[in-house]
Amino acid sequence: MLAYRGGDVRAFETLYRRHRGALFRFILRSLKQRAAAEELFQEAWMRVVEARGRYEAQARFTTWLYTIAHNLLVDHWRRKGLTLVDLDSAPEAQAADNPARQAEAREALHRLLHAIDALPPAQREAFLLHEEAGMSVAEIAAVTKTGEEAAKSRLRYAMAKLKAALNDD
Amino acid sequence: MTDDDAKVSARYRELAREEPPRHVDDAILAAARRATASRPAPLVAPSGRRRWYVPVAAAAIIVLAVAVTVHVERQQPDFEVAEQQAAPVQTPVTEPAPKRDSSAPAELQKSQTSSSQPAAPAPKSAEPLAGLRESQRSDTAPSAAQARPEARAMRSERGAEQKSIGLAAASPEQWLQGIVDLKRQGRDEEAEKQLGDFRKRYPDYRIPEAIAEKFEKR
Repeated sequence: MLAYRGGDVRAFETLYRRHRGALFRFILRSLKQRAAAEELFQEAWMRVVEARGRYEAQARFTTWLYTIAHNLLVDHWRRKGLTLVDLDSAPEAQAADNPARQAEAREALHRLLHAIDALPPAQREAFLLHEEAGMSVAEIAAVTKTGEEAAKSRLRYAMAKLKAALNDD
Repeated sequence: MTDDDAKVSARYRELAREEPPRHVDDAILAAARRATASRPAPLVAPSGRRRWYVPVAAAAIIVLAVAVTVHVERQQPDFEVAEQQAAPVQTPVTEPAPKRDSSAPAELQKSQTSSSQPAAPAPKSAEPLAGLRESQRSDTAPSAAQARPEARAMRSERGAEQKSIGLAAASPEQWLQGIVDLKRQGRDEEAEKQLGDFRKRYPDYRIPEAIAEKFEKR
């Protein structure tokens, strides 16, 4: 990112190829709507481009990138009328509303994906940051602007629910 | 990570690996290229070997500012030192051969006749009047001591021996002022002695009436 800040476009391309898939899946599985996910994904990278002049290597680039994505998700949920309390509570049954996702669940690991969708947004986010971005509890806490105990708790609950879903096989 | 956690992670990785569509990739990369081509990155902090530029520049500015400030302060008259010299106390007068100065108090200037002792130099001509009563300084140059009550307090606390030495080396006006100060402090004996010495040294010097009155009051 520092190289890109200095004007090296190829440095950005390298960064983009490295993180595009994981970030897209993180956003997609957080929103559960592909069109909104593509839009938010593009917005996240636009912010990276616009902020290149201010970028300072105070943390990992991954942490910075996913913090941008997290903030965009929070804004998205806020526009939907969801508060931070709602993010920690069990969501309504929304997975069945998406036919595309139902078909995908039938083809692959239906229950796991459905279980991920059924997680409260905050727990799902912690799980996806852990799985897609490879973040530790401390990094998850930094990105989501919570304490480490809260991040640890969210990840633990998410894992427990997903494990229970897998054990239902 | 527990075994169960590892199992969840492994099963998660088996899921379809969604990727962003090609047109989104193209849009993002195009924007990144445009950003570097159109303008340089704003607020770019120096990196690598150039990082030392900023602190060195800042240090240079600070040093220059301090140097200018010190230089300006040295150019300005030191009122504290001037007050000490005006008072008939310890600090011997170090001014060069004094010359008659038009800004000196009118009364003192009239008093000076053929005395070999020239008048006080320009910067200090107003100092001998420092401490005089308000009524006696109405037609004289403004004294810095009027605005510095702390200087007058300092003069009143000085030792007699230091005063004598300072008086003898002072200009006539400063010497007289010192004698007035001694009187004010109640040191009549000292003041009388000094006055006698003064008259011996400057027999033709006409002491202003306002000052002479003080010596007559007992």
